[in-house]
Amino acid sequence: MSRRCDTDTHEPDMTDAVESLALPMDDNLASLQNMRDEARLGGGLKRIADQHARGKLTAWERVELLLDKNSFEEFDVLKTGRGGHLGGDREFLSDGVITGHGTIDGREVFLFSQDFTVIGGSLGAAHSEKISKVMDHAVRVGAPFIGLNDSGGARIQEGVDALAAYGEIFNRNVMASGVVPQISCIMGPCAGGAVYSPAMTDFTFMVENSSYMFVTGPNVVKTVIHQDISFEDLGGPRMHASKSGVAHFVLPNDIICLREVRRLINYLPSNNKQKAPFLDLRDPPDRTDPALDYLVPVNPNQPYDMKVLIRSILDGAEFMELHENFAKNLIIGFGRLGGETIGLIANQPAVLAGVLDCAASVKGARFVRFCDTFNIPLICLVDVPGFMPGPEQEHGGIIRHGAKLLYAFIEATVPRITVVVRKAYGGAYIVMNSKHIGADINYAWPTAEIAVLGPRGAAEVIYRREIEAADNPQAMLQQKEAHYRETFANPFLAAKRGYIDDVIFPRETRSRLIRSLQFLEGKKASRPDRKHGNIPL
Amino acid sequence: MFNKILIANRGEIAIRIIHTCKRMGIKTVAVYAEVDARSPYVQEADEAAFIGAAQAKESFLNPRKIIAVALRHGAQAIHPGYGFLSENPEFAQMTIDAGLTFIGPPPSAIAKLGNKTASKALAIDIGAPVTPGNPQPFTDPKIAAGFAEEIGYPILLKPAAGGGGRGMRIVESPEELPGALEQCMDETRKAFGDDHIFMERFITRPRHIEFQVLADQYGSVIHLGERECSVQRRYQKVIEESPSMAITPDLRERMGETACKLAQAAGYVNAGTVEFILDQDKNYYFLEMNTRLQVEHPVTELVTGLDMVELQLRIADGEPLPYKQYDISLKGWAIEARICAEDPYRGFLPTTGMITRYAMPRGDQIRVDSGIDAGSLVTIYYDSLLAKVCAWGETRGKAINTLIKALNGYHIEGVLTNVDFTNAVLNHPAFQQGELSTNFIDEYFEDGESKVLPPQEQLHFMVIAVALVFHSRRTLVRDSLKPMRPLVGSTQDTAAHTNYMVRVGEQVFHVDLAGDFVSREWEIQVDGRAYAVVTPDFEYYRRRLQLKINGVQNMFRLQYQQNHIRCFFCGTVRTFEIYTTTEWRLAHYMKRESVRALENVLRCPMPGLVTAICVEKGAQVRRGQELIRMESMKMESGVGSPCDAEVESVLVAPGQAVDTDEPLITFVRESCRFAEEK
Repeated sequence: MSRRCDTDTHEPDMTDAVESLALPMDDNLASLQNMRDEARLGGGLKRIADQHARGKLTAWERVELLLDKNSFEEFDVLKTGRGGHLGGDREFLSDGVITGHGTIDGREVFLFSQDFTVIGGSLGAAHSEKISKVMDHAVRVGAPFIGLNDSGGARIQEGVDALAAYGEIFNRNVMASGVVPQISCIMGPCAGGAVYSPAMTDFTFMVENSSYMFVTGPNVVKTVIHQDISFEDLGGPRMHASKSGVAHFVLPNDIICLREVRRLINYLPSNNKQKAPFLDLRDPPDRTDPALDYLVPVNPNQPYDMKVLIRSILDGAEFMELHENFAKNLIIGFGRLGGETIGLIANQPAVLAGVLDCAASVKGARFVRFCDTFNIPLICLVDVPGFMPGPEQEHGGIIRHGAKLLYAFIEATVPRITVVVRKAYGGAYIVMNSKHIGADINYAWPTAEIAVLGPRGAAEVIYRREIEAADNPQAMLQQKEAHYRETFANPFLAAKRGYIDDVIFPRETRSRLIRSLQFLEGKKASRPDRKHGNIPL
Repeated sequence: MFNKILIANRGEIAIRIIHTCKRMGIKTVAVYAEVDARSPYVQEADEAAFIGAAQAKESFLNPRKIIAVALRHGAQAIHPGYGFLSENPEFAQMTIDAGLTFIGPPPSAIAKLGNKTASKALAIDIGAPVTPGNPQPFTDPKIAAGFAEEIGYPILLKPAAGGGGRGMRIVESPEELPGALEQCMDETRKAFGDDHIFMERFITRPRHIEFQVLADQYGSVIHLGERECSVQRRYQKVIEESPSMAITPDLRERMGETACKLAQAAGYVNAGTVEFILDQDKNYYFLEMNTRLQVEHPVTELVTGLDMVELQLRIADGEPLPYKQYDISLKGWAIEARICAEDPYRGFLPTTGMITRYAMPRGDQIRVDSGIDAGSLVTIYYDSLLAKVCAWGETRGKAINTLIKALNGYHIEGVLTNVDFTNAVLNHPAFQQGELSTNFIDEYFEDGESKVLPPQEQLHFMVIAVALVFHSRRTLVRDSLKPMRPLVGSTQDTAAHTNYMVRVGEQVFHVDLAGDFVSREWEIQVDGRAYAVVTPDFEYYRRRLQLKINGVQNMFRLQYQQNHIRCFFCGTVRTFEIYTTTEWRLAHYMKRESVRALENVLRCPMPGLVTAICVEKGAQVRRGQELIRMESMKMESGVGSPCDAEVESVLVAPGQAVDTDEPLITFVRESCRFAEEK
């Protein structure tokens, strides 16, 4: 039938309907096949070619790449849109979105994949009902939920129904939050109200050169505030990866993006009642790394790359970093220790000396809460000189934002282990998963410096009189600074108090962490009964 | 014999000397500067003394400090190693004056041979052939022009002081002379505090041949045969071997005799090296004599079976030479690769950082002299030489193969090195045929890459390695998640064959894998060509993978790079993109990963110190024009403009330490004209 290939000329016709009523059984089977084939072609061959020309894959192709071969079971293929109040729109099978479930490396996930070739992938009532149905399934059975977004936005022709449709999805995003992992891939446009569904999911992937996200587009910006800005600069993947922090991952193309989604899924449990899957990379748990003994430079003000330590201790040196280019002074991501998924939070002394600022605090806090929700133990590697000083930070609300990280750590009941690698000063020391806020195990390297203030600042306060009175104040300051460094800038004082459980050899970090994780496996902790806490959002 | 000696050096050579001392029961004292406190040589020595700041002139170039340490620690002698103070006659004299033994030649011999003009005069005296040139050093450009007319172009400008090729310039025509002379004088003034230059004929496609000599205090001199060090970059040796394919027994005898005669005439004692240039007609010309233990001495040791450091110690202690010339014979072939912290793909600029992972090659007929280990710091303060890998074989071919295998398994992570570049040299057909000259690298390499494409089979091997790693990782994930797999739907993956498409650059390979992880035996086809492969147990924390392909063991180094795998094998370094068949069917729709956009910023190509800014704000600059001068690892070099442009602002100042990729200068964006746009 030619109409299957050229859907643009497809007009449902009374004679067709009458004929089909009269079809014998065999033809019913054939017609089912026809309808499926038709659905598979979405908006037609020409639109598919356009999609490909943009370097984008079709909704079907994406599903095929994301899931294990032959594992996809589709729902609502035969569902069609309700047609617009404005009239003139034809109905499409599937209504511009593919929904269903399948497996990733054998594990069940639910998903939708928007079809840009069908009315620009726009979201109307039927489209939204389909998405809502799979979200309900995902929550009921406890399987991750993945959305592949490629949509022009609300289907204007459906009026308020289209807005209601978004509301339905938002509701479910919130209901599913903390129950099953939710992942959003932005593989085309995502604008206006549509952005809030990805924003409420746990992870957002964006594809370079083909995706953008914003609440209002460049045209509106131009009209309202008379500013010229490109799509890319306003809401492109690079901007969201580095400035806004909206995107957790940015990948070069659809294929690599979907591969990374699969990789992420492998780190995560299917729901909040399960543990993350165990994956043995055959990396000996007792492997030592002598290079770590030399990682921290002799000069305490010299930076080093925390990622060297991260790669060294994790199984197979595999680390899946989130927000790689946003608030780089704090590193977060997933790795495995002895086969078990862990969430890793580490200060990065190579960027801004590893200081905590507004962006880093928010980035860390959300990650800690995700791990806690999904039973993923937290490992915290500390080298923090303090919170970032200055009016920019204070006016930006570093008090509120810093409090989020503090709150998130205290709230977390999963196993929590800290290693103080070098600096741990002042309030930032407490915030970074210290013993005092409920960490289970706190280790320190011999290079650790745990104190209220850095040596220079401390010497200036404590010995102010002596320094002022000295013939050579500069020399006196240096002398006092050295004295303070010797007395306080070490892990032994904290260890004497029991705030540090053990001072460990750097080379043994991996084995000590794995050993501790093992015994913490049975950890039980509860919180007082309440509706929910009031994290300083 | 001495009870205790001090080693006035660092890194691999210090360790090399310590090893012989340990064998001979001599205690060693190491000296170290700030950045070296944790270096392996400091730990290997019996005693160690701190001698100051990292800058060489505060520590390793300070004779007083070193001699004071030697006296304090009760050392009886000082071994200077190479570089630093090893060829400084004042230091040798001060050592002797302090009542210590200098393990090296007498100061007078160092002084005589260290001055190029004097050593050349000496060579002429004993009748050794020298390159046509004028022995008169000069600073005046007018004199230079006259000399150049006499000698004939092409000519070579050489600083009268110093060595190692620093400051040397080739001049092809009279027009280039003034500019080249100025640069040459400028550099030598900065490096050696002296701007005298001399001039000689430049010989095309020369080979660098040197003779190892040994002389005792009683006038006997012998030579230990030749070493060929023709493969050089920026006048720094990269690959050295002994013997040389260019040397016949007769030529060896004549050149050796010249070398011994020269040493005798200079009153030379201890180990030294006489360097010659060999032209295409096998005429040899005296170049210079190095009055120290050479970096490349291990190749001589491997073919003669002697321990040069032991002989140095014995000679210094007053023992006569235990051998006559007829006792010396060269057995088999030895080749050495110098492993340096440098980026061959960025003009061999030095690199720095911490060695985060380190695995040395091991095996029969392989010798590694290494100064580093996991945790070592490579800094801008010293020479970039990290280690030397040598191999011995009965024939040159066997030695090359052994060395290639060794380098395939040499894993250094954290600091970029030339391991794979040296390996590429060894794999080059011209090297294997022995067609060497000091132009070798310029002739056969471009931007650190061989101009010859790697053999197809080599790429097939690499494809097999990356596909197996990818496949095994994928299988592992599936297997460990198996319990969660639903009964219906997902494919159970029982297929005997798995297919992948592997893309590297513009080439695509189809790989068919059949086998399993239990028997570890695989039948693999690459584009229809079959290979039998035996794998080890995969351990994903390892960076090296040994595969037996068609019965032969091969070592690969692999590294995940974002979503692709980088593989290092036989000097070929490539990033492989691997696709499943489903992915491959759709891969052609994907835009190839975009290259980095041209930017209006000059970024720092290497870590180092800014020594001079050559332009100011508003200046119009040409592409390639030198804008900033920097110093790193004793080398001064210029940083050229990436485009024709107008300078917007200069972001650094002289004396400032800068890191790789740090912005140095920005240009007015509209004014930028890149080569591609012309």
